Amino acid sequence: MHPRLMEKNNNHIFEAEQIGLYLLSGSIQETEKKIYADAMQKLNISFSEYEQLLWNKMLKNKWNMACIDAALAVQEPSNPVRRKLFTMLAILEASPNYTSYFLSRKFSIFYLFKIGIIGFRAILRALVGIFIVNTIKRKCN
Amino acid sequence: MQLNYDYIVVGSGATGAIAAHSLVEEGVIVALLDVGVEDETYKQIIPSKDFISIRKEESDQHRYFLGKNYEGIPWESTKVGSQLTPPRNFLTQLTDKLISFESDSFKPMESMAKGGLGGGWGLGCYVFSNPELQAIGLHEAEMKKAYEAVASHIGVSGTRDDGAPYCLGDLQNIMPVSDLEQNLSGVYSSYNNQKKSLNKKGVFLGRSALALLTEDKDTRSAVQYKDMDFWSDKDQSAYRSWMTIEQLDKKTNFVYHKNCLVLKFREHENGIDVIVKRTDTNEEQIFSCKKLILSPGVLGTARIVIRSFEYKKEQLPVICNPYCYIPCIQWRMLGKEIEQKKTSLGQLVLYLDENKNNYDVGMAALFSYRSLLLFKLIKETPLNFSDARIIMQYLQSSFTIAGIHHPEKGSDTKFIRMKKDAGAYTGDVLTGQYILSDQEISTNSLREKKIKSALRTLGCQPLKTVHTPHGGSIHYAGTLPFNDRGDEYTIYPNGKLAGTKNVFVADGSGFNYLPAKGLTFTLMANAYNVAKNVLKND
Ligand SMILES: Cc1cc2nc3c(=O)[nH]c(=O)nc-3n(C[C@H](O)[C@H](O)[C@H](O)COP(=O)(O)OP(=O)(O)OC[C@H]3O[C@@H](n4cnc5c(N)ncnc54)[C@H](O)[C@@H]3O)c2cc1C
Repeated sequence: MHPRLMEKNNNHIFEAEQIGLYLLSGSIQETEKKIYADAMQKLNISFSEYEQLLWNKMLKNKWNMACIDAALAVQEPSNPVRRKLFTMLAILEASPNYTSYFLSRKFSIFYLFKIGIIGFRAILRALVGIFIVNTIKRKCN
Repeated sequence: MQLNYDYIVVGSGATGAIAAHSLVEEGVIVALLDVGVEDETYKQIIPSKDFISIRKEESDQHRYFLGKNYEGIPWESTKVGSQLTPPRNFLTQLTDKLISFESDSFKPMESMAKGGLGGGWGLGCYVFSNPELQAIGLHEAEMKKAYEAVASHIGVSGTRDDGAPYCLGDLQNIMPVSDLEQNLSGVYSSYNNQKKSLNKKGVFLGRSALALLTEDKDTRSAVQYKDMDFWSDKDQSAYRSWMTIEQLDKKTNFVYHKNCLVLKFREHENGIDVIVKRTDTNEEQIFSCKKLILSPGVLGTARIVIRSFEYKKEQLPVICNPYCYIPCIQWRMLGKEIEQKKTSLGQLVLYLDENKNNYDVGMAALFSYRSLLLFKLIKETPLNFSDARIIMQYLQSSFTIAGIHHPEKGSDTKFIRMKKDAGAYTGDVLTGQYILSDQEISTNSLREKKIKSALRTLGCQPLKTVHTPHGGSIHYAGTLPFNDRGDEYTIYPNGKLAGTKNVFVADGSGFNYLPAKGLTFTLMANAYNVAKNVLKND
């Protein structure tokens, strides 16, 4: 493989790891990382300067990723950085290793409380995220 | 080389397949000209297992669920046709290149595939009522026989409940109804408990009539509830028009010519020349015949007729049902596990017939959500993907989606127009405009309100109403309206194109009205009659 391509591929594998950590709170298997790298080559998602800064920040840790994603979900749902997360989400769903995260199952009535807490957490993440996104936006202007 | 046939049918969609079949059955020699795009990629790689087993066992599933080029991960805002899964994408392949359509207000879906749009249709069959047939311009008694003949060819399952007057009518040739999935069972029993009050408001609910086999038929098997309806046709329980073409291909009096884009026809004393542009070589070829039956879809027929009549008239009317869908939460299904064996087809239909005359009825087909995959639903939420996944996994079993179609008539603000364009593959481009009047918009929105209220009564809480662009219903008609005066650019009730001696139209071009109920079963029945009329005309 050409050194530039190799570097790109390694970046994609790193991205896949980080996104996996964020989406499923655990490390993901090599197969899905490779599929993600292949998808990124084929989809060729490009970023503006502002989007690149957002993406760099998101890759630092899963909390940043969660908060920025939450803010963008409200403010800019079609931002291309979310497309990367969405692609990984689809790849994980279409893998036999992660079916338990996506297929329906029987939930107890108390699970509703968990759903309430998750909803509350999503709002908090969005609030923090909006602050981060606005700071990055200001830097770019 | 010029090829000579007695009968030429154009197009292999629902109407072309039935017209060709009816002619071939009568023993005459038939050639079918078609572009005929086929799925070369996915047919072989999807295993013959149920959805859950595939999800749990198949490491290659991303190839067909997401597509080889990840085209099954939709990101741009939804365009008409994005409901098609990667294995069904071939249905719309080549259309942009060969038959481009330009419009800001009308976004129709067209097909160049072998079997046409019928390769992905939802199988909903509706026998139209007498007032509906009259409004369309079709003869009730003839249609009754044709419905039976088509039902016996394609296989229709259904049952005689409150929905039967709207979908089955007097149809005799039916198979037992399919097993109702758990999500929709709750709605059905809720309706049966409250039907008195709902009926008073003109709301009726019943099992859909579907072109889905519940008993084996020839080489096709009864439905095995694998829930792979949107991805593959392995057991052939769902009727697809290409199945008829494959069946006909085995007959000696039938010839299928693919890669043939028909441009126009020229009628002369000894017959008809059909001018074709071959899509494999881009060269022109001429076929000759005694009788020509056009069934390339309503817009396809319009293109061919406008060119054949030398662009004398460039603008034609068009009709398309307005369509929206409403995702609902069905509380009683919260936290339940979805059963392994099911189908994702719309097994229930709600009808709004306030005048109780089976005319201008609104309808909502009801679906559950699973096999189209959760990530597409997650994208619709205003939440971060990680939290949205947890919430949507919990809600998944409780989603019931209502797809609402409105009845529709033509008007001056709904039309298509052909425009010359030297850069286009055919040297011209079809354009269009589709604008509803304020009155039509308010009638439709009132109907939607009433349907939403009925859904609430049935335990389904509507979340939002998503209006698709005009064209999104994929039901088109009315470009060459039926009349018996023989005016230019119209069709006689027997299917003959006015101004010609031996050219017939077997698709929906003549329909003057579109009931909300799906038109395809009626299209096929009309195509059957047109084929019979072609033979009578000999
Ligand atoms: C996802 C989906 C769900 C649907 N669900 C339902 C439903 O539940 N109930 C219902 O009633 N309807 C439904 N429909 C609509 C239904 O599929 C169409 O009404 C029907 O297939 C139209 O058939 P047709 O023969 O008129 O045209 P088409 O299916 O468009 O076929 C046209 C054929 O002509 C060929 N062709 C076109 N132009 C040319 C040319 N110039 N030269 C040569 N060949 C040409 C094409 O290759 C194609 O084979 C659905 C459609 C879709 C896509």
